[in-house]
Amino acid sequence: MAKKILLVDDSTTTLMMEEMILKQRTSYECVTAKDGLDAISRAVVESPDLVLMDVVMPRMNGFEACKRMRTESSLSQTPIILVTTRGEEEYVEAGFQSGCNDYITKPINGFELVTLLQSYLGE
Amino acid sequence: MNMMSEPPAKEKQKDSAQILGDQAKVYAARMRLQNAMDQADALDAIREIAGNLIGTEEVAVFKIDKKRSELWLYWSSGVDPNKHSVLEVHREPRLKQVLSGKPVFRLRLSTENLLSTDDPVNALIPVLVDGSACAVIVLFRLFPHKAEIEPVDREICEVLSNCAGRAVEPHQSR
Repeated sequence: MAKKILLVDDSTTTLMMEEMILKQRTSYECVTAKDGLDAISRAVVESPDLVLMDVVMPRMNGFEACKRMRTESSLSQTPIILVTTRGEEEYVEAGFQSGCNDYITKPINGFELVTLLQSYLGE
Repeated sequence: MNMMSEPPAKEKQKDSAQILGDQAKVYAARMRLQNAMDQADALDAIREIAGNLIGTEEVAVFKIDKKRSELWLYWSSGVDPNKHSVLEVHREPRLKQVLSGKPVFRLRLSTENLLSTDDPVNALIPVLVDGSACAVIVLFRLFPHKAEIEPVDREICEVLSNCAGRAVEPHQSR
């Protein structure tokens, strides 16, 4: 059965790009959400194998969504990778404190993205 | 043979993933602009493409006033509009090339700024409508972890040049 990834971003451009890369380079199934709140409800229903989530989003940002996902028993162990525009140490630290497993910076590099996801999910 | 280099198969895999990733960016940029619902959405598409695909949150669009030989600020995101309200062509030699329809990019090691502003300018992109420039998109400071405008960014800028007309000319067809 294909591994399922929840892609979360308020940018349709980013979602389109991520889906294109993953569909052509991997066998993962992709589902999407447009903000943190949407992501939590989608994650509870879909039980993804991994969440790839933007930080800056309307309604609920990625840090808060990550914290809340960790309180859901079904999502407490799910790998969460945050996508940030900032690679500064304090920003990354805030991500890890929210409970994420890893982070990747924008603009996303296709090879780095696939390699990172495969390190969590296998090829 | 360099002992530190990656095995050929791994290198090939990396190259093809990179190419695919770059193609995905260019495709997503084109689709986003072509599917923009109206002028406001087209301007938002420019902001989104700059931030998510190129790597800058500081972007501005200047409209060209050919009679007065100047460009006036039409829209911006992440920059102080009071600092960049008007660009005079005779004071900005790089703009002449842009007005002829060709983009200008700042080279990585260049200390010269593309415009006479305090803020670093990394790209000047003409917005073409019916083959001539009607506006210029200015990309200012890149993200700290982004060293320079890369080849794929230039391709995305070409998409911006050819598909962002609706952002400044609302009646422009898709």
